[in-house]
Amino acid sequence: MRIVSGGATDVGQVRSNNEDCFRLVEPLNLFVLSDGMGGEAHGEIASALAVETVVKHVMDAETNSSIPSYGNPPAALTPQTRRLVSAVHLANRNIFNSAEEHPEQSGMGATITALWINENALSIAHVGDSRAYLLRSGMLQQLTSDHSLVAEQVRRGIITASEAEQSEMQSVLLRALGTQAEVEVDAEEQALFSNDLLLLCSDGLTRMVTEPEIAGTLQAETDPQKAAARLIALANENGGADNISVIVIRLENESKSWLSWLRPGARKHRSSNGSSGGH
Amino acid sequence: MPKLSLMFEGKTVKEVPIGSRPVTIGRSPDNDLPVDNLAVSNHHARVYYEGSRLVVEDLDSLNGTFVNDLRVERATLHDGDSIHVGKHSIKVDASHDAPIPYPADMGRKAAAPAINETMVLDTKVRREMLQQAAAMGERTQFASGRLKVPTIVVLSGKTANHEYVLTNKLTTLGKSSMATVRLTGWFKPQMAAQISQRDDGYYIGPGGKVPSVNGAPISGPTRLNDGDIIEVCGVRMNFIFRE
Repeated sequence: MRIVSGGATDVGQVRSNNEDCFRLVEPLNLFVLSDGMGGEAHGEIASALAVETVVKHVMDAETNSSIPSYGNPPAALTPQTRRLVSAVHLANRNIFNSAEEHPEQSGMGATITALWINENALSIAHVGDSRAYLLRSGMLQQLTSDHSLVAEQVRRGIITASEAEQSEMQSVLLRALGTQAEVEVDAEEQALFSNDLLLLCSDGLTRMVTEPEIAGTLQAETDPQKAAARLIALANENGGADNISVIVIRLENESKSWLSWLRPGARKHRSSNGSSGGH
Repeated sequence: MPKLSLMFEGKTVKEVPIGSRPVTIGRSPDNDLPVDNLAVSNHHARVYYEGSRLVVEDLDSLNGTFVNDLRVERATLHDGDSIHVGKHSIKVDASHDAPIPYPADMGRKAAAPAINETMVLDTKVRREMLQQAAAMGERTQFASGRLKVPTIVVLSGKTANHEYVLTNKLTTLGKSSMATVRLTGWFKPQMAAQISQRDDGYYIGPGGKVPSVNGAPISGPTRLNDGDIIEVCGVRMNFIFRE
């Protein structure tokens, strides 16, 4: 599968600074997004530290797989998912330690949603209320659970999903990076198929743009970079109350089924490519 | 104008002016001052002027109304007093006296709508709020203590296993070796259908095929209920919540 991606971030219409941060590490197919919080510029410090730590830990582990692992990720997960979870635990520790050492940063924190694609296996590590979505067969489905008070109330059947959307408590998180010495990290593994589309976003998108609008935009705009820009524009048109960050990842079919051998030019294309195997 | 400020975790969540009309407080959104907390009754209390005296009156709430930590049925309020309902406190600002009458349709959804800054509940407060939520036990599918496990039981057709517990946010049904519910046999799509876990339940959606629920092909993501029969690619399955 060929993976194409694009990402963008915007301060929105109300805030004066952007506390979101994201990175596309295309050689590794690693995608990380974080939404920071805290007074002054400390939210920016927290989200940047979160993203940098996760990227660096995964890259370090790629060159030297014996580097230590953090947070004791469950053995049932794949090595890739365990490494990603370890990276998020390390990010929590780094933000927490930074806030301990610099009292002015006290109370800073960040969300994190990290995706790592290896062949057709997707690993997700997640804390907070940024989200990962999968658009497949026209169905937009959230792959992460929000660690917010209202989402927990919906899961426990205390309030309905529409009551949650109206709630004044939407900004109250139950989990974030950097606010406690240890954090519980959600891990999820999924099989990917060609034509799958993945979306990572901060709550600045999902509070401003409905899921049907998001799905429609992703289906209409096939270029990931343009789709990301279009989603940010939509959030701003709807008020842009918070910073908005979006990563769009598209998995394209490299037609390599045995039927493609029957098509004219298929053999020639394959040999000029120098690729072998891959069935 | 005198006002009430709803405080939560030391932050002002909402302010409402006290006019000639009573200010109603409660969990239901039709209150002048809605308080989103399970310890708060739908119509919990009201605050109004009786002449020049500012009065708070409990509306037979379940967990009571407190003024400066004393439970009250009815009490006179003074500037700086704190009313407690559930986990929230409401600060009374009566320093600017004399209510100014205003039209009956004003005052609703008046002031700042929400906590704008993201905040994290510390573990203790979080535990308390969730326990409180569980104790209130409304619409408790999950709060009852017995966790219900969503399970797919294969009734007929070829699959790798007979029973599948849905543990992931997304469950795929198909021929792919990575599918959760692996369909075996010829001419099955790699990914035939998918079941997505949302906060409010489980939804089945199409993949390479359009599945049927209780005999009817779905037209989009469809919520699964306990006991539903799912059919896709000649495989019949029962979706149940196991105790």
